[in-house]
Amino acid sequence: MTQHSLRKLLCITIAGLLYSCSPQRADTDVIRVRWSHDPETLDPFQFSNQASLDAVNLLHLGLLEVDLTRLKYAPVLAESLPTTHLIGDSLTELRYTLRAAAAWDNGCPVLASDVAFTLKLMFCPDLPNEAARARFGFIEDITTTATAPRRFTLVCRGQSLEYLVASGDFPILSEAAIDPRGQLRRYSLRALQRRPVTAPADTVLLDVARRYRAASPDQLPGLLPGCGPYELVAWERDRYLTLRRKTNWWPDAQLQPVPAVLQALPKQLEYVIIPDAATATLALRRGDLDVYPQMPAREYARLQTSPSTSNPLRLYSSLSYSVVMAGFNTRQPVLADALTRQALSHCFDAAGLLEATQMGAGTRTVGILSPANRINYNDSLALIPFDLKRAAALLRQAGWQRGPEADAGWVRAVANRPRQQLALRVRYRAEETLFATVALQFQAAAAKIGVPVTLLPTESGTFSSSVHTGDFDVYVRMLNGNPFMFNFTPIFHSEAIGAGNTTGFDTPASDHLIEAITTAETEQRRAHLLRRFQALMQREMPVVPLFFLPNRVAASSSLTGLQVSSLKPGYAVKTLVRAPQPSPAP
Amino acid sequence: MALLTPAFRRWSQWLAVLWLGVVVLVAALAPVLPLPYPPNSPDLANIATPPLEAVGHWLGTDPQGRDVLSILVFGARTAVLLTLPAAVLAAVLGALAGGAAGFWGNATRLAVPYWLLGGGVGWWALQLPVPLLGLVVAAVGLGMALLFGVRKQRFPSWPIPLNAVVVGAATTLDTVPRLVLVVAMAAGTGVSIPGLLVLLTLTSWPLPARLVRAQMLRVRTLPFVEAAQAAGISPQRVWMRHALPHALQPLRTSLPLSVAGLLGLESTLSFLGIGLAPDVASWGRLMATIRNEPSAWWAFVFPALCLIISIISLNSLSRHRAAQEKLLP
Amino acid sequence: MVGVALRRLAQTGLAVWALASVVFLLSYRDIDAAVRLALPDATEATAGPGAGSAADQATQQAALRQRLGLDLPLFYLSRTTDPQLHWVKWRWNGAHNQYHHWAMGLARGNWGVSFRTGEAVTARLGRALSFTLPLTGTAAFLAVLCAFGLGQRLARRPRGHSLLQAALVVLHALPLFVVALALLLTLANPEVVAWFPAYGLQAADAGLDTWSQAGQYALHLVLPVAALTLTALPELTLHLSGALTRELRSDYATTARAKGLTEQAIIRHHALRNALLPTITLIAELLPALVAGAVVVEVVFALPGMGRLLADAAAARDYPVLVGGILLIGAARLLALLLADLVYFWADPRIRWHS
Repeated sequence: MTQHSLRKLLCITIAGLLYSCSPQRADTDVIRVRWSHDPETLDPFQFSNQASLDAVNLLHLGLLEVDLTRLKYAPVLAESLPTTHLIGDSLTELRYTLRAAAAWDNGCPVLASDVAFTLKLMFCPDLPNEAARARFGFIEDITTTATAPRRFTLVCRGQSLEYLVASGDFPILSEAAIDPRGQLRRYSLRALQRRPVTAPADTVLLDVARRYRAASPDQLPGLLPGCGPYELVAWERDRYLTLRRKTNWWPDAQLQPVPAVLQALPKQLEYVIIPDAATATLALRRGDLDVYPQMPAREYARLQTSPSTSNPLRLYSSLSYSVVMAGFNTRQPVLADALTRQALSHCFDAAGLLEATQMGAGTRTVGILSPANRINYNDSLALIPFDLKRAAALLRQAGWQRGPEADAGWVRAVANRPRQQLALRVRYRAEETLFATVALQFQAAAAKIGVPVTLLPTESGTFSSSVHTGDFDVYVRMLNGNPFMFNFTPIFHSEAIGAGNTTGFDTPASDHLIEAITTAETEQRRAHLLRRFQALMQREMPVVPLFFLPNRVAASSSLTGLQVSSLKPGYAVKTLVRAPQPSPAP
Repeated sequence: MALLTPAFRRWSQWLAVLWLGVVVLVAALAPVLPLPYPPNSPDLANIATPPLEAVGHWLGTDPQGRDVLSILVFGARTAVLLTLPAAVLAAVLGALAGGAAGFWGNATRLAVPYWLLGGGVGWWALQLPVPLLGLVVAAVGLGMALLFGVRKQRFPSWPIPLNAVVVGAATTLDTVPRLVLVVAMAAGTGVSIPGLLVLLTLTSWPLPARLVRAQMLRVRTLPFVEAAQAAGISPQRVWMRHALPHALQPLRTSLPLSVAGLLGLESTLSFLGIGLAPDVASWGRLMATIRNEPSAWWAFVFPALCLIISIISLNSLSRHRAAQEKLLP
Repeated sequence: MVGVALRRLAQTGLAVWALASVVFLLSYRDIDAAVRLALPDATEATAGPGAGSAADQATQQAALRQRLGLDLPLFYLSRTTDPQLHWVKWRWNGAHNQYHHWAMGLARGNWGVSFRTGEAVTARLGRALSFTLPLTGTAAFLAVLCAFGLGQRLARRPRGHSLLQAALVVLHALPLFVVALALLLTLANPEVVAWFPAYGLQAADAGLDTWSQAGQYALHLVLPVAALTLTALPELTLHLSGALTRELRSDYATTARAKGLTEQAIIRHHALRNALLPTITLIAELLPALVAGAVVVEVVFALPGMGRLLADAAAARDYPVLVGGILLIGAARLLALLLADLVYFWADPRIRWHS
């Protein structure tokens, strides 16, 4: 009996396999895009990862949004960029007007009360909005008038050029859908912001939070209504997420011509989650995928050398705003002086690393601002050369002395302190081979001038705690930037020591300069200050910016209208169109 | 489990011992072996080169440009340094716990003053609430001991549930598969080599403990143990000198199996990227690189062969011992 | 018999609870990393205007802790060390602590909420389980089936199948991830043969009918199931064939042979049932063991099941999911034990007499 059943089972399996191999995908409306991670949450205030941001941007609209190809903020729900009015020397008023055509799916217009509601939700307790609190805490108040329901004024603390665009970059939620009775209207934004974490629970707020959670897309798809072009059809965790273009999206009928940021061409988008890079390439070659954004260098190079036959591909690349950098822990006595840090910065072979890891693509940089940002990039500074002789000379200048033997290390005597020995521990995220290569190169170079370096590849959870507690000498990591925001307070200001300022960098001059940059009145003035800041950072060298990474996208050649962007996710998904295929697949 | 002819079995026995000897030797001598490349320095000019193609890289390089041969050698070192001590420690721990549980069961009694003394000192040492209370209890225990000692009275005594404690702890650890448990614990604690060693030991002692306990239950009833007890030798001495050596019999076969299991577990963990730090050379981690570079077969095949041959050798060693035991009376 | 089984169940249940508690207390003790990971990293991107100071981050973390209930003390008792006197102080926190809330929640069927996604743990576990159960169930079924076939064959003619036996011994030595990787690299690699899909399940195509969808699903499961079956098979087979061989040497088998029964009939009607007894425990252990195996297989084949959920939760410090997973696997083992006891009861009449 067992043999028979075995044979039968085998037959059934083979038959099933043959059957299931036969059907091929023929639907042309669907565009499939690879994600490396699950979005984990579609909550619009959590900003948890890139996949989540991608999806939220398609489901919801903000007042302003980045035009990915022109790298500029453009009005979306707002009619135009807001007008700025400075009040005294510590307040800014931004006046917005919403588009008259902007509407929710049920036809109700998007009003200023929705914006006020959204801002208040960001400070409502018991909701996953901690990230939004930090980001939009500068908006102190919102004033609306009953006579003009589409106009409102945002009152912002302090004065900054960036308020103009930063104040509009959050998704707007519908008050009618979550809080139909307008319970949140009783609270002012200021009162919610000032509510201490330990305040006793407020039943009204808890009620709003409960309804928000019940309506959030994590519970049931599509309940939290957005006025974006897509609606959620299906979301299988760790497998895929499907979005369908709404047929009754408001710009279609109401706006002629449709502005570039309000275009949404694909009928259906399917984000496929494939963690493995090599597997994703395989899926792309088989034609199971149409777009593979942020492709690793080796996969990209492999596609360049051996073009796919079954699914002809097009390869795109641009310069991204992600800079790979090494940071020094300036709180360590051995790294407290700028000269030592400068000396060590000469041990990084940025050009060689760029060649080995990025196949020569990408760009070296003098600072953490991208060379593509021509106004602000300080091109009068020189790139740091890979020069071990200079490194040794600088170390001597910094007071270090090396013993006569070949394997002697560097020591220095400081008054009233124990003698210092130069030995470094480099920490980096273990799963990133790029960081590992940088660290290994640094170790090998430092060994040549007699500086012993220990590598501490660390799992990402432990990495973030060790970096925050200062348990490292050097770290290697990536910093994502953009051409709009230049607030360096969280990373380099002394106020952020213990939080985001992991290098512990702290000089009065840099603090002053960072504050001046955030409050600069004109772009020219800001550019001037930014150039000074880059020069200062190169002198002080708390971090060694190595190079900006390229952004690589591979897409099926049947897609037209793919526009690469320097900003994440690296391409504009809303403009993709599948060209009609000349011959159907056999 | 008769496998092929006795002659072949003898031969395979020798081969197994030979291979394991070579692995241990290589592991011990790894730092002084004349390897062309150290295990952790990347050769940026030769990334993922096949065997024999680049000068000095006899077995090729991995996708980060590290020499495969060096990783194999140092990976053997990691494997030996981790699995052997873990298996031996687990066996010792298991033998002591299981042996004690089997010999004394739940029946041993300890006089109340000693209970009080031990409990009080423990309370104080662990700094439980109001540590002074512990000292007071210990003092009371001491006082009772002296009092009873002077009057030459028998102490009232309470039983020690030794068997229940050991069996309960083993059952608790056994409820969840070892891999899952290690994955869960490694996340919370973050692991170094000693940490992983402790974790592996803690999760693998229940098996030897059960084996030794079962054997001890049999040994306890044997005439020579009873004779020793009747001769007035103290129970501790009987346990240590006479009963335990006989109860250790099953460990002879289980130890190689345990090493084999740990070897597989260690490489599985490294493969999943959980256990060891990434700069510690490991066979499992080397094999994992093939997922990023599917054409680099040499990064998979060589460590896989090393691992498989080692495990087969250990398994056959254990079978051989089991067969030997059957021949013994 | 029933009493013994119930007692064993109670013991194991207690053990599962103890283990989950230990994992809970150990992991929640070090919650800072989890809190930091649950918030977006301020140092990953140049921020917009506004805040960024350490004080702001502290407020953010406090808000998150409050939302997740992590601001409460961990256990009924907590100990603090006085920094000046080094004097250890103990404090009784009453029922208002994390462990109590967790335990009470469990009793009401509320397993907590994932730190990262805000989703109920039961929902996540349920979804992962709905994927892992077919995978491990099929593998266990196939392994037992094949073990029966092969074990009988080996026992009937031990000399004739030395090659098979050698193959099983080698297979026994292969760790699961090696088998899985080897299958992936040979059967789903375009450079060798790409018969099977190499990664997780895709979206169900609206264009395909139910049968093709089922076919796709089956196709995705072939390699993972094969890997799990191949690693579970050798031990079962060797064990069963060993037991059968012993039974066939016994007196009643000789008697049966003398009666003129064929070897096959002896095995089927007499020896198999006796040989089965020692194997039952092994089979009962199979399901929990396969869940552990699923960790490896799901990571290799990128399948969204229980194992990958646990591995990801461990890496992301998503403790509620992790502890929930441990509890669930423990419960699976409880169930397996109960099953094994029932099967013993059915297979061995002696046990029935005794009870």
